[in-house]
Amino acid sequence: MSDLRKKWAKARISTAMHAMAPPPPLADSICEADEDRFGSGSVPNTPQDDDSSSASSMSSTGTVIPSPGRALFARPQGLPGRSLDPIPWTTYFERELLLRSPDGSITYHAYLTSPTPSSGRGNPPGPLFVTHHGAGSSGLSFAVLSAEIRKRLPSAGILSLDARGHGLTTTHHSASSTLAIHGEEATEGGNGKVEDLSLPTLAADLLAVITLTQSAMHWPTLPPILLVGHSLGGAVVTELACSLARSSTTTTNISKAPASMETTTSGPSGGTGSRDDTSTATKVDLLGYAVLDVVEGSALDALQSMHAYLATRPAGFDTLRDAVEWHVRSRTVRNAISARASVPGLLVHQGQPPPQAHEQQAGVVGDDGEEQMVEEEDGLVAESGIVNGSGTGRKGISKPWRWRTDLAETQPFWEGWFGGLSKKFLSGKGGKMLLLAGTDRLDTELTIGQMQGKYALQVFPEAGHFIHEDLPEKTAMALVDFYRRNDRSALVLPPKVSELLAQGKRV
Amino acid sequence: MSDLDRAIAQLRACRPIPEAEVRELCHKARELLIEEGNVVTVNAPVTICGDIHGQFHDLMELFRVGGDVPDTNYLFMGDFVDRGFYSLETFLLLLCLKVRYPDRMTLIRGNHESRQITTVYGFYDECLRKYGSANVWRYCCDVFDYLALGAIVLGASNTLPSTSGQTESSANSDEVEIEVHNSDGQIISRFLRQKDVDRGRINSTPTNGNSTPVTNGATSSPSPTRTAAKNNNRTPTLTGPPGSGASSSSAGSVGNPSGAVLCVHGGLSPLIENVDKIRLLDRKQEVPHEGAMCDLLWSDPDEIDGWGLSPRGAGFLFGADIVQVFNRRNNLGLIARAHQLVMEGFKEMFDASIVTVWSAPNYCYRCGNVAALLELTEDESGMGVLARSNGEVNRSDGGMGTGGVGGGGGRPGGGGAGQRGGGLLDDDLPPRRPGPARRYRVFQAAPQDSRGMPAKKPVADYFL
Repeated sequence: MSDLRKKWAKARISTAMHAMAPPPPLADSICEADEDRFGSGSVPNTPQDDDSSSASSMSSTGTVIPSPGRALFARPQGLPGRSLDPIPWTTYFERELLLRSPDGSITYHAYLTSPTPSSGRGNPPGPLFVTHHGAGSSGLSFAVLSAEIRKRLPSAGILSLDARGHGLTTTHHSASSTLAIHGEEATEGGNGKVEDLSLPTLAADLLAVITLTQSAMHWPTLPPILLVGHSLGGAVVTELACSLARSSTTTTNISKAPASMETTTSGPSGGTGSRDDTSTATKVDLLGYAVLDVVEGSALDALQSMHAYLATRPAGFDTLRDAVEWHVRSRTVRNAISARASVPGLLVHQGQPPPQAHEQQAGVVGDDGEEQMVEEEDGLVAESGIVNGSGTGRKGISKPWRWRTDLAETQPFWEGWFGGLSKKFLSGKGGKMLLLAGTDRLDTELTIGQMQGKYALQVFPEAGHFIHEDLPEKTAMALVDFYRRNDRSALVLPPKVSELLAQGKRV
Repeated sequence: MSDLDRAIAQLRACRPIPEAEVRELCHKARELLIEEGNVVTVNAPVTICGDIHGQFHDLMELFRVGGDVPDTNYLFMGDFVDRGFYSLETFLLLLCLKVRYPDRMTLIRGNHESRQITTVYGFYDECLRKYGSANVWRYCCDVFDYLALGAIVLGASNTLPSTSGQTESSANSDEVEIEVHNSDGQIISRFLRQKDVDRGRINSTPTNGNSTPVTNGATSSPSPTRTAAKNNNRTPTLTGPPGSGASSSSAGSVGNPSGAVLCVHGGLSPLIENVDKIRLLDRKQEVPHEGAMCDLLWSDPDEIDGWGLSPRGAGFLFGADIVQVFNRRNNLGLIARAHQLVMEGFKEMFDASIVTVWSAPNYCYRCGNVAALLELTEDESGMGVLARSNGEVNRSDGGMGTGGVGGGGGRPGGGGAGQRGGGLLDDDLPPRRPGPARRYRVFQAAPQDSRGMPAKKPVADYFL
């Protein structure tokens, strides 16, 4: 499968290369990027989709490095203020990564903007914010936030993965390491088998993505890392932070990663396809972790009403635009730009013929562009995947755009996600920050911990649950401040008394 | 002033006063506070309290346990508002009492006395709910900016006077350093003063031979003269009011044998080597995000060496070495601070050189902690009553009022020594001052009435 993916990626790159050759005006590049993301269906019909030609372009893409001048992070300009059209991920991230796990059981999908590497002259590398979304969400949940972080801290990188069962991460239930040829063998979301969404698995996934990314990007060392998790993701990053602290050193040995590990990167900026044989012990330099709007006590309380809440969600939408509109109107996401960036990742188009083999991961031709897509050609078609078919009889069940992840099916894991979270949050090493949408979310343990000064608390009462989407600027500001405080390379504390005395100084 | 007394009565009944009265009250309070220095000088006896956090009924319980105003002098170390449901009544009552009995009430600023924090943690919402506008919140915030940043308690005795109902010999009671009482005034536990002469030394640097007799004198004898004389022999150049690092020797200026007590909401700052540095700050502003003023309100002591990063995101952590050098440099016997929830109500750290006092029982109505207040008794060796001053260096030298008991006396103008404050060799530091005798009264939450409790927000509807 990943070979196929590579081919597809090459095609994408060559398309992108053509498009990028003369730096296009911004509006055009968005259009182009849009096509990149959603319009992949049209790609196979283009002349560029030719292995031989793309091979040559492939060789050249390895050298393409996104220049800072490329307006990758620019907000789309010139779009109508009230637009609800999806915004492609390329607006926010430098590249996407497909990272195959060593045992071949899963191919992680992640979005990456690389941090500025160490310049060697005492200039420390930029930090890498590793983000984990909540249940039912996707890596694009952090898209707008990532741009806001880079605005304030241009050296920062952001790695935002799709958790298993979410986004474009695919689990292979068939024999590992053989390519899944048929769509049925690759599942996205809760197709057939229920994903193992237990907390330890998700935390291991997160660590795997970090180390696989290092290999794929050929980073000699990992940059200093800040974990950021929203909701379920908050529990995952806390779990990982604690397990890193538990291991006597924070050295994580990934030498078990076999040589067959394959990583493929692709992106509008030109990714590198790489086969990385080096398996080295990777030191995770964890500066701190930030948890967005999840607290054990209140989360467990809220679980009771979760099914009722899920039942109120439409089961499907006619168009992505409708989906964005629903999210904004229901105030699930209170920032239209964020919704336009993140909502498309939550949904998948159902009712299309099974995808052809060579594009099964990338997408299906979608022609539902209809009226809303006029200016973006037939852009908005998300990737294929067999949609979970629950919620029969619900409103919207006949509509083609369905939730990629069936949240109701994840119920067996809910309590495991949040049980013991407060204690773990307080016990991990490194800086700790909790961002909440309201002080009443705190449970007793964290109330005590907060008043004992054990972590930093930020409250944004005007935000909803998706704090980082509702208030990307404020959240980014808080995260960047959090990084700056915990940046050990910059930290200079006043001397200890014993040091002063040792130096013969007066105290 | 009957209007004020009426307002006090109304607030004691937990009923807010009209907006116009709040405005007038805040105006008066500001006029009063503006006259106070950043570090207020307070004379023992005084009862020191930590965070209240709008728990009005627990404040009433505190007054019941500790004695009512104006019979008892109080020093509140900030965090009057937020979290509890009666921040408004709590703060306004304290402010009324401050205006009514300015010499018997001392209020210093906590990190919650800030616009930014109160908008998030409840006080702003409460004002809006109770008055329908943010005006009252604005008046209160203006007062916050004028609250002092710290206080120095002078004249605290290093022994606890025998309390009624106790049968110990007086010789024994002289030795009592710490007493813990329950809310009914019964003694739960007592601790005798340690004889360890060298416990004030924080490192292995050879100590000055003089420290032995001095410490002995301080611990075993209530006679201030003797101690003072010895101190003066030892550090004859030190002058000025106690607690101002400028300066000096509190023993020389005040008759009490114990060191002064610095009260501050959070703790120390790397930018503050001596108390005079606090006096130089421009405090009449919103609490900044960093810098000395921020640190004083945000820092925490911790079991570390030197300074550390505070996990709170503001202020620092500071270790035993920092506290002990600071105390010796400034002739302090103790630092009293609040800011951190301690389940037992109070917590002494670093060889009793710093104590955390927490006065909000069952914090947030659910944390299950008890609260405490700290009583410092007056030195009863005939030193006389000192005039209260507002903390200006030359006005606060309590020694002028002591009739020259100490050999040196307090010399006005001693502040000139300030530059030297940070430059003393360790061996030249004054000996560690013994802390004053401390009586803690531990109390539980008062029964809550449910008036004014805002309806619990509905459970968040989406938490995955």
